[in-house]
Amino acid sequence: MSTHPQLGGRGDSADHHPARPAREASQLDNGCHGTQPGLTSGGILVASLQKMLAWGRKNSLWPFNFGLSCCYVEMATSLTSRYDIARFGAEVIRGTPREADVMVVAGTVFVKMAPVIVRLYQQMMEPRWVISMGSCANSGGMYDIYSVVQGVDSFLPVDVYIQGCPPSPEAFMNGLLLLREAVGGEKRPLSWIAGPQGVTRANMPCQRDLKRAARLKMGMLPTPEEL
Amino acid sequence: MNLPTPPAHAAPDPMQQGLQDCCAQGPVSVQPAADGVPTYWGPVEAVPELLAHLKSDLGGGFEMLYDLTAIDERQRQHRPGEPPSDYTLVYHLRSLKNNRQVRLKAAIEGDAPAAPTVTDLWPNADWYEREVFDMFGVHFQGHPRLRRLLMPPWWQGHPLRKDHVARATEMGPFKMDDAEAARLDETMRFRPEEWGLAGTESGEFEYMYLNIGPHHPSTHGVLRVVVKLAGQEIVDAVCDIGFHHRGAEKMGERQSWHTYIPYTDRVDYLGGVMNNFPYVMAVEMLAGIDVPDRAKVIRIMLAELYRLSSHLVFYGTMVQDVGMMSPVFYMFTDREHVLDVAEAITGARMHPGWFRIGGVAQDLPQGWQQLVRDLLDYLPGRLDEYDAMVLKNRIFKARTRGIARLSTDQALAWGATGPMLRSTGMAWDLRKAAPYSGYDQFDFDIPAGRDGDCYDRAIVHVEEMRQSLRIIRQCLDRMPPGDYKARHPLTTPPIKDRTMHDIETLITHFLGVSWGPVIPPGEACAAVEGTKGLNSYYLISDGKTWSYRTRIRAPSFAHIQMVPMMARGGMIPDLVALLGSIDFVVADIDR
Amino acid sequence: MTCSLASAEGGGGFMWPLAVYCGAVLLLVGGMLGLSFFLGQRHRQRATDQQYESGMVPTGGSRLRFAADFYLVAIFFVVFDLEIVLFVSWAIAIRQVGWGGFVQVLVISAALIAAWIYLWRVGALDWGSSARSARRDRKAGGPS
Repeated sequence: MSTHPQLGGRGDSADHHPARPAREASQLDNGCHGTQPGLTSGGILVASLQKMLAWGRKNSLWPFNFGLSCCYVEMATSLTSRYDIARFGAEVIRGTPREADVMVVAGTVFVKMAPVIVRLYQQMMEPRWVISMGSCANSGGMYDIYSVVQGVDSFLPVDVYIQGCPPSPEAFMNGLLLLREAVGGEKRPLSWIAGPQGVTRANMPCQRDLKRAARLKMGMLPTPEEL
Repeated sequence: MNLPTPPAHAAPDPMQQGLQDCCAQGPVSVQPAADGVPTYWGPVEAVPELLAHLKSDLGGGFEMLYDLTAIDERQRQHRPGEPPSDYTLVYHLRSLKNNRQVRLKAAIEGDAPAAPTVTDLWPNADWYEREVFDMFGVHFQGHPRLRRLLMPPWWQGHPLRKDHVARATEMGPFKMDDAEAARLDETMRFRPEEWGLAGTESGEFEYMYLNIGPHHPSTHGVLRVVVKLAGQEIVDAVCDIGFHHRGAEKMGERQSWHTYIPYTDRVDYLGGVMNNFPYVMAVEMLAGIDVPDRAKVIRIMLAELYRLSSHLVFYGTMVQDVGMMSPVFYMFTDREHVLDVAEAITGARMHPGWFRIGGVAQDLPQGWQQLVRDLLDYLPGRLDEYDAMVLKNRIFKARTRGIARLSTDQALAWGATGPMLRSTGMAWDLRKAAPYSGYDQFDFDIPAGRDGDCYDRAIVHVEEMRQSLRIIRQCLDRMPPGDYKARHPLTTPPIKDRTMHDIETLITHFLGVSWGPVIPPGEACAAVEGTKGLNSYYLISDGKTWSYRTRIRAPSFAHIQMVPMMARGGMIPDLVALLGSIDFVVADIDR
Repeated sequence: MTCSLASAEGGGGFMWPLAVYCGAVLLLVGGMLGLSFFLGQRHRQRATDQQYESGMVPTGGSRLRFAADFYLVAIFFVVFDLEIVLFVSWAIAIRQVGWGGFVQVLVISAALIAAWIYLWRVGALDWGSSARSARRDRKAGGPS
């Protein structure tokens, strides 16, 4: 456990040297594949401080004003009055990566734009998270074409995937709430000089398992002929 | 609508005669097209003379270069009567004053296609030629700065050529480590010498080159504008596009005629069904399908609903750009009301993909009249409120009056259409000039501005919203009964009620749904007055279940090309107001 | 008010609150800067310390020779700000200096207002290159 920061990034397991495939880091976040256990060394004081800070971070996730494509319109819509993600602390949308917490990759990841996204991600300050919003960012979506990267997780570690094309503002809100849950359960180092280093991720349950029962019960769906 | 072949003893076409007279390099021939647009072939060396003739009053007064594109003909089978060609250049001209169109095609053979430039005839040919160079590898001799437009500078190959790979999954996984990202960053560094912008004002001060975008809240997406600043004043600007290139045109060659519809939604992603409209109309022209009246009126109603939605986004974001923080919330709330109606009818808010070849996907749901009536009662009052809040606001006027003026002649020379053109004073709207889908049965006005500045553009947009509401009210009052889809073998997917009754219908339906409709060979271009301007799809069919060439003429492409001209002399806040007032969508620019 | 406190405590009476205040300021600022230096995570990747310019690499530096307009605005600010300082110090002692002081302030403001009108007429308050070229034309002796 070194006490000095090193060039090339350390401390955050997701903040990896890009030579290591990003998928491995993000799979650690999905409870379906298993997570690291919760306790770190450092005592009760440090642990409760970490919990308090995690609570603070969870309730003030500042999104990065980063929109690529159509999904950005739905993200912006979720900031407006009807959906209002400001009530979850995501009110302050920041134009500069230095001040933002959550980079929502909203839209298709273009080959020409990929180095720009990496540059902006590197300019974000710790702690930082990435939400991949929409089919195009998740996997390239319907654009299996020469100029589109098939998923932002090819070069960025992703914390939450939001499905949809575009995801409705409610779906984006759902993803943000999932991220809040994950952020609230994290334990991050208090200082880069002393104390436990390394980020402990939350033990997130598998969403598919949680929702399966309710989904199986869905029977009668409305037909398109009625409102 | 298939054109009958002209009888052999028909009188010679005067336009063809005029073109032949000024062309010594070879013959000028006529080609019939399914959309009725006069199409001529000429030798590629004579293209500047032929186009100059067409632009002159004698030749037809075609003052606007509407579109300039190319076709890779090397794999095409059905080309009856057309000259041999490997790469065909297509010049589509429009005369708004005379309400006419013409297409000039030039054949290029060989592996190193080259053609003379027409940038001295029309300034907007600059980007069109760069795009053809980027996508097809055609060199334009005499072009001031021929370089890639949409693809990154390091890209190898020309994507729309038939031998270029289409799918990302055929190219191997995308690998970009940090060193690679640094290298790619360097290729995109702006070098003023490459753009002819280098040079410092002697003695006084140095110019600053500032990147505005691709990540910037004011560029409404991933658009990059590099400005050369003298203090805070913009001396020059360069637009770098292509950050939103999704290969929609290439995708048309890999999807069936029916499965391509969702891709059209996402070209102007605020427009929804307004994008499906020209595409399905073009396919219907090729297939010879007559759409029933009910389907036409449903299409008009949905198109106007999405025009409202798009204009509300324009309104909210434009006033936010110039500094008003609250109205964007009100306008987006109103947009929710519009999208509620659209979602109830089509099933989706933003990308409905609801029009079909031959009609629309489903009939209107029961109870739609009350939804639309509620919207028509709600929205006009809100628009009046915004008039007082925004349009009469002194600060808004100070930020937008006199900023980035555009004259009608400039607009026509640069290919501006839609509200950009109407704000300069020319009240030209395709829905009145060449009504499609039954628009001639509707009663509405065309708002026009006067000075062509940012304020006039905003006013024109707001008035268009009111006219859209008028049209929707007429749709509500006069919705005709009948089928929502044509009863034609090529309608996809077909109406199923007769499928179980006779075997012929069953076979046709089965093939049409499983394999796809086989659209007869031909070419057609259908245009609509879209939310941003004239949007058209130029489709070439080779008699297969997929399109041979899908050309999307998007209005924002022409508008953003004008940004350097309009931004010069202003300050950065003026550029922001300009970008807000143009009402563009980056997916519309790059497709 | 200040004078009475000084006379009551014999000259050094108002130093203690000031010292405490300065100490508190130093403690607070030092604490904020020091804690933010030591707390939290750190990372440094290739682009982290480079300037943010909309995601692109910048062209040229930002330490450029700027147009004189910016300098002019800064100088005007300084001049008029010092004017404010004079006014505020007069306002504090307004009763002590009485009518004589008032007349002196009037003279100062008249001089400054005259300077301001001159600057306005000569075009120094206009902004931008059109203004600069107008000034150059005037200097060259009439519109060219």
